[in-house]
Amino acid sequence: MASLKSREKRFGFGILAAYLTHTAIFWGYPFVWMVMLAFSRWRFVGKPSFVGLANFLRIFQDSNFIRVALNTLNFLAYLIPMLLLSSLLFAIALSKMRYFKTFVVMSFLVANVSSGVAYSIMFANLFAVNGPVNRFVYSLFGFTIPWFNHPQLAIFSICLIVTWKFIGYYGMIIYAGLQAIPTSVFEAARMDGASNWKIFWTITLPLLNPSLITVTVFATTLTFGIFTEPYMITGGGPMMRTTTFLIYMYDTAFRRINPSYATVVAIVAAAMSFSLVMIIRRIFEREVAFV
Amino acid sequence: MKRFRIADLIFHVIMVLLAFVWIYPYLWLFISSFKPAKEIFTTFIPSRFTLEHYEFIFFMSGRLGRPFARALLNSIFVASTVTFSVVMTSAFVGFVLAKIRFLLARTVLNFILYQMLFPGFMFLIPLFMLIRALGLMNSYSALILPGLMSSWGAFMFAQSFKTIPDDYIDAAKLDGASRFWIVLRLMLPLTRSTASIVGLFTFIGAWDNFLWPLMVIKDYNKMPLAVLLATFNHEYAGYVGPIFAGAVLQTIPMVLIFLLLRKYFLQGISLSLR
Repeated sequence: MASLKSREKRFGFGILAAYLTHTAIFWGYPFVWMVMLAFSRWRFVGKPSFVGLANFLRIFQDSNFIRVALNTLNFLAYLIPMLLLSSLLFAIALSKMRYFKTFVVMSFLVANVSSGVAYSIMFANLFAVNGPVNRFVYSLFGFTIPWFNHPQLAIFSICLIVTWKFIGYYGMIIYAGLQAIPTSVFEAARMDGASNWKIFWTITLPLLNPSLITVTVFATTLTFGIFTEPYMITGGGPMMRTTTFLIYMYDTAFRRINPSYATVVAIVAAAMSFSLVMIIRRIFEREVAFV
Repeated sequence: MKRFRIADLIFHVIMVLLAFVWIYPYLWLFISSFKPAKEIFTTFIPSRFTLEHYEFIFFMSGRLGRPFARALLNSIFVASTVTFSVVMTSAFVGFVLAKIRFLLARTVLNFILYQMLFPGFMFLIPLFMLIRALGLMNSYSALILPGLMSSWGAFMFAQSFKTIPDDYIDAAKLDGASRFWIVLRLMLPLTRSTASIVGLFTFIGAWDNFLWPLMVIKDYNKMPLAVLLATFNHEYAGYVGPIFAGAVLQTIPMVLIFLLLRKYFLQGISLSLR
């Protein structure tokens, strides 16, 4: 029996050794280099030279970086309310549906499996100056909307298509949270004479806290990782307003040939995303238990 | 009661209409890819349907040095290799993490949780350095090697293997089954939904991966479809028809695999709650 146990362990060691080797090469090694690059100056050739905190200090003087950080806040200001509200409404509507439910769910979810490049091309053309959406708007109101050419509108339009993509996915998360609430809770409230409106605000919403937080956290990390849509549709413009952290990182590394500073941009973006998630959790997260 | 039913009917009609609004972009893209070039922006139902854009994509684009057919095969090759490898390796790693009790397994499981705190985009540039140093730029290896194993996949398998009683494994061992047999023939079939979730999400991630291949592949012959389509869109913006045809080709496999595994997709969503 002892030999069986040790053979089992040997099998475990073998498998985990393979896994750890892969992780060491493609995660550990880049991790070490990420830290080294952050404190060095390097332009793809030669040896990196140590510069201390210079890359990090540069961030505070880099007006482009500040622009990009503000852009991200701008994206968050649209995306979080849009995604939260629309997926909450979607989930509630879904819970009230009795027919065609599968069809509706599938139509919204199939948007989520769209390829980043393909759906950017699709919406860039749908919302183009002579595209179907503007043609429709023109026939109704007699003007066209510069969806991707006006700074604030461009951000909004990108948020709109991201919402199109994610409302089904996030809606299902909230829907699952909704289904988890025992109906007896609602029945008890109704017996006590609570109105629908009151039930929603004092029972449904607080009990949905975990799924709403999940969606907020997902949407936050998603926003910090936006790349394909602005890269394909606006190229970061107009006036740099749709330049996200990843576009700035890519440009800094490969157009301005400054990979060490680009790494710092990525690290700071990740740190900001992480802190924001922590803050959201700290402020809004509540323990929810159904007794 | 009567009024209530009418409100209910209107509500259902609105929801179904909304669902159509949501798939309208897909329909428009799909139909447009079969329209004559002049009619793409002018009519919804064209005067005739044509395959000219697909003919261009498959037979003519190669002469422009933009081999779409090859890019499609590249994408299929890369995404399926990565998916197959991730499902297989994750099953084995997950098995060890969940079912073999020793210190290393516990340490690795904790490490994976810690690893998940770091978003992937932090590692892109150092990983680029590594691939360049290994001389793997413009190769399939650059696309495949980093994705051969997945911590997330191993974690998912470990979670679902934990729910399988040890008795099953002991019984198989008494019958003289090897550990490879146990993982492939006993554990994997028992956790088919986890395997599907890991496979589905890995395939979608690999197929839709854009920034990484954009960084490491500059050779038009090695590009996955997403990157070739993006560069073609930048360089030949006037070729709207072929671009739409390419976008349809890029979308179809993802939608197909979603429709095939939709049941597991829903399960995967509810798993992300935990």
